Amino acid sequence: MSGGNNTRVVRVALMAVPALLISLTFLQQRIDVSAAPLQNEKPELMLRSGAMVKKLSLGYDPLLADIYWTRAVQYFGERVGLRGATFELLGPLLDITTTLDPQLMVAYRFGAIFLSEPAPAGAGRPDLAVELVKKGIAANPDQWRLYGDLGLIYSIHLKDYQKAAKAYLEGSKNPNAQIYMKAMAGAVAQKGDSLETSKLIWGEVYSTTDDAQIKKRARQHLESLDAVIDLKNLNQTSETYWEKFGHYPATIQELRDAGLAEGKLEDPEGYPYVMGAYGVPQLNPESTIVMERDQQLPQRNH
Amino acid sequence: MSPIPGIVAVNTFREAVRDRVLYNLIFFALLMMGTAVLVGGVSIGIERDVIVNLGLTAISVFGILMAIFIGVGLVHKEIEKRTLYSLLAKPVQRWQFLVGKFGGLVLTLTVNTALMMVGLAAALFYVTRRFERSDGTIVVAIYFILLELALITSLALLFSCFSTPMLSTLYTLGIYIAGVFAPNIRDIGVVTASPVARWMATAVYYLLPNFHNFNVMAAAAHQETIPAALIWQNTLYAALYIAVVLLSAAAIFSSRDLK
Repeated sequence: MSGGNNTRVVRVALMAVPALLISLTFLQQRIDVSAAPLQNEKPELMLRSGAMVKKLSLGYDPLLADIYWTRAVQYFGERVGLRGATFELLGPLLDITTTLDPQLMVAYRFGAIFLSEPAPAGAGRPDLAVELVKKGIAANPDQWRLYGDLGLIYSIHLKDYQKAAKAYLEGSKNPNAQIYMKAMAGAVAQKGDSLETSKLIWGEVYSTTDDAQIKKRARQHLESLDAVIDLKNLNQTSETYWEKFGHYPATIQELRDAGLAEGKLEDPEGYPYVMGAYGVPQLNPESTIVMERDQQLPQRNH
Repeated sequence: MSPIPGIVAVNTFREAVRDRVLYNLIFFALLMMGTAVLVGGVSIGIERDVIVNLGLTAISVFGILMAIFIGVGLVHKEIEKRTLYSLLAKPVQRWQFLVGKFGGLVLTLTVNTALMMVGLAAALFYVTRRFERSDGTIVVAIYFILLELALITSLALLFSCFSTPMLSTLYTLGIYIAGVFAPNIRDIGVVTASPVARWMATAVYYLLPNFHNFNVMAAAAHQETIPAALIWQNTLYAALYIAVVLLSAAAIFSSRDLK
């Protein structure tokens, strides 16, 4: 009796299992649809105190620092460029990371750039960036590049050129510091708000960082600054054209035809500049170069 | 309907209680009490979230450990102690024995989970000083954990039908971990350029027990509403998958030479 029953069980299983697995496939598709609204991960940080996390790490703080650093980069990467995105956890994440591993230089440098950048490229919190970099300097006084980062935040974002010059000067005292730190201190003190100084600062960031995201951001700044310089020069040429002909040029070609401009006249991405209303040159609409509001040329009304 | 699986189940439950399995509740109670007292000092503004997350995680982890470590020994212990032979000499069929063992462990896990839910509710009330209607999501989350535990129990039982407890533990744990990451496996198929890899990833996604379905802990912590459809769909999913696993276990166990 038992042998027959056992064979029957095997037969039932052989028939029923494939049918049930097919049903499960269809059911899983329905579940995927129903569960979709719940899949949006909420940003959260259960413990905001780096010191507390360090205590709870049971001596594995370097590994935990790496995990937090990865999380910080992911958090930033998920949001950067999104309209309306905020970065309120970027500061705490970097703070915890650098508390767990105070020598993790990339975290300070990343924070210096992306905490201070205005939205949507960054958190728009230069105050937090200053705090983070100062924390980095306190833990790593030999890292003269951090002084450069501090100088960048003060000059580019906070427009405090005295403090920026002081930071560059302080960094230049390090025997390992490169000579440009002293030059930068002088340039920032003399003409902090000039485009040339900004180019110098971003140029140094570009050439000294190994982080791909920082490099990309520095390159974007450099391209944007090049475009601003080009547009300012073209605008000046447009004024000259008006003085000569009594009206503004309608196209860039008219500047060329008048012998006032020559060459390619295109932005660093290769898009030709276009002429706007009242002879104000502009970026090509197809160009992805982004100019800060304070870098845009004022519109003429005559 | 035969009462035999029920009798085996009740005896399995009694045995678990005798083996002091429910002692884990003491650890859970201490954990909840400690967290409830400490949470105010370290998690400003998200005390409720911490209690809910920690409570649900503990219920899940304790339950999974019990389901796996007890589940893999259910059949093996009976064979080793040779009690299975005297049992099968009676008019008890092998599949009835398996279903009874499964039911007994699920009953143990249900009682254990229910008691832990009471502990979580007490800690939550201590911290928030009130219950809200949206706290019902926590009950749904615990119900989903229970479905997950039942599915894990069936898997542990399946492996214990043909393998040693050590290997069965590894197999069950492996399937569980793979099942938790089932959506990631599917995503690998989405990003790959190879149609074969895409097909394989999709096949594995649907074949694995999808434990990700049962995880609504974040929704419970944030007091989000869980779609009603998801409750019956997950219930049906667990029931069907358990049926697949138990049928396979019964087929393997029935064709096994126990002499």
